[in-house]
Amino acid sequence: MTLETVHTVIDDIGALLLFTMILIVAAGQIYRAIYAVAAQSLLIAIAGAVLATSTGNRDLWVIAGITLAVKAIILPWVLHRVVQRMDVRREVEPVIPISATLVLAVVIVVASFQLSASLGSVRQAITGNALPVGIALTLTGVLVMATRKTALTQMVGLFASENGIFFTAMAVTQGMPLIIEIGVILDVILAALVMTIMVLRVRSTVDADIADLDRLRG
Amino acid sequence: MAETLLWVLPLVPTATALAMLTTRDRRILSAIDVSGSAVLAVLAIVLARAVASDGPQAFGVLRVDDLGLVFLLLLVGLTLAVSVYTVGWLEQAVAVGNMKAEFLRSYFFLVHAFVATMVVTVLADNLGVLWIAMEGTTITSAVLVGFHGHHHGLEAAWKYIIVTTIGISFGLFGTVLVYAAAAESAGAGAMSWSAIMQIAPTLDPGIVRIGFIFVMVGYGTKAGLAPMHLWLPDAHSQAPTPVSALLSGILIKCALLGIIRFQTIAAAAAGPEFPATVLLVFGLISIVVATPFILTQHDIKRLLGYHSVEHVGIVALGLGFGGRIGTYGALLHVVNHGVTKALAFFAAGTAIARYDSRDMRVIRGLLGVAPIGATFLMLAALSLAGVPPFSIFVSELMVLRAGIGGGHWVAIAIFLAMVVVIFAGLLHHAGAMVFGEPTAAAGREPEAGFPLLGMVLLAAIMILLGLTIPASLDEPLRRATEIIVG
Repeated sequence: MTLETVHTVIDDIGALLLFTMILIVAAGQIYRAIYAVAAQSLLIAIAGAVLATSTGNRDLWVIAGITLAVKAIILPWVLHRVVQRMDVRREVEPVIPISATLVLAVVIVVASFQLSASLGSVRQAITGNALPVGIALTLTGVLVMATRKTALTQMVGLFASENGIFFTAMAVTQGMPLIIEIGVILDVILAALVMTIMVLRVRSTVDADIADLDRLRG
Repeated sequence: MAETLLWVLPLVPTATALAMLTTRDRRILSAIDVSGSAVLAVLAIVLARAVASDGPQAFGVLRVDDLGLVFLLLLVGLTLAVSVYTVGWLEQAVAVGNMKAEFLRSYFFLVHAFVATMVVTVLADNLGVLWIAMEGTTITSAVLVGFHGHHHGLEAAWKYIIVTTIGISFGLFGTVLVYAAAAESAGAGAMSWSAIMQIAPTLDPGIVRIGFIFVMVGYGTKAGLAPMHLWLPDAHSQAPTPVSALLSGILIKCALLGIIRFQTIAAAAAGPEFPATVLLVFGLISIVVATPFILTQHDIKRLLGYHSVEHVGIVALGLGFGGRIGTYGALLHVVNHGVTKALAFFAAGTAIARYDSRDMRVIRGLLGVAPIGATFLMLAALSLAGVPPFSIFVSELMVLRAGIGGGHWVAIAIFLAMVVVIFAGLLHHAGAMVFGEPTAAAGREPEAGFPLLGMVLLAAIMILLGLTIPASLDEPLRRATEIIVG
């Protein structure tokens, strides 16, 4: 593949990633948000495979494989099981209307592109538009976490945020050291595990969604 | 020899953590706890001697220079004091049912796993490893924050894990950006701080600036800088007291070390003014935000939590004022605040156990029922408020002098006003708790030995550092200052 093609492919994947992010923000049901974040992780894995072919960096194959297995399959499956097991009577429960969140998400995307357009020389260090897309995904993930009440939706926001970082990290021309990427993924899995345990524990002890607990103030 | 120590150091708490799983007996667990921490402290001192004579030591992704050494010595010192304190604290907590005997080994396992991840953060040269270890501290300590398992504890733990995880994912993004800037010229080694520092002046200033802001927000969340401090008062108040001391005394300092590492890179690439201004702004916001909450607080551990926000702000302010005096003052403040705050949590913890309440309106007349503990509580409060001759006064004065030297008049005015208000507020709170007639809730049992021993250790260091800074600390501090100022 020529450099031009790679840039185009990465930009196309970036556009699809932003689309999945909009789906997550717009999701009125927790299932849809989980499917959207799984699709997003799948796209990240594909981006990894494309960059691995074009740069000949074998580490990227490993990272793409781990992303596919862990973030596109296992974690969404776990979330799905938890939703079933908890028999969720409640859905996403936005703090502010979903339409308002969508507007904010658009503002974030535009601002991210503006920001990275001001950085001329970064273009050589990071392939295509991976930097603005990565920043937009990360910030929108935070937005989802801040504007949703239920614990599982907050976790979806967290995964989307991590996806943004991974997309940018993969597209750094030199590639990230493999051991670091694996360590990061391991941390994400452990954090997700601890969070899931906490969610289930609160459900079993006080029969409430953990994010609803709000007695600590001042 | 010294390089090998770098690898052995994180393995000591790991091994201690694993040893905890072999027994359920409280006495044996406490014995393993104290001896593990003591071994760690001794090895750290050996390493400190090696650094003093032969300079920085590196081995793979780990490296220790004087900057890391200052934080390492604080870490091992406080860990030892916490272990000693825990012996008596635990006996009491098990007796009244605050800690369940069957969960003790998992408690100790987690504490030492937490210490191990913190040791890696201070020794990490590779910025990726730094991030991984930092996230590791969140995972291990989140479980500890919610260890009591009641409603409030779990709420605090959830808030803690969500806010800090999302926070430090910003830190990872910043790390990736700085790596992207450095990878062009340094290649695959560009994740190591020492390698980046070699080429830092040639890095693209634009991308490093944005990277630094991401890191500042990210590790700033973990450090408890306002407005990202939301997790801190909850976590500090709900965690078991020894864990509160570790969180406040060391963990938030480890995050500060992460910020300092990136500050040096940003200063070399984009000029020292840029990171200094960012630190100055976050520092001032933290001090201002913490003040009203300190004044109106009724929960003693939340009070100490907000106090940590203020003091982290002072450290950021010192780094922001910069220069040799400001930076030295900031580093000294890291040590002073760590020691004093751990002492304050110890004294508060024994008072809470005695009155069975964290409400400062219930804790009255401590001097009448527990004179020694009350004295330590008062000493810690005086020191935290910045009264001479205690150590915090010295470092605050240095920060102040650096600000005046740099002509930051507005910042100085805000800083002084807040410090005076907090001074009055804190002494009011402490005075009401220590003096007066003991309330009916006060337990009359004699004071336990081990918690007092832990407090004596810290109080001695606190008073010593107020009177004089021993050469064995002064020299690493000076060299660390040189590393930052460059």
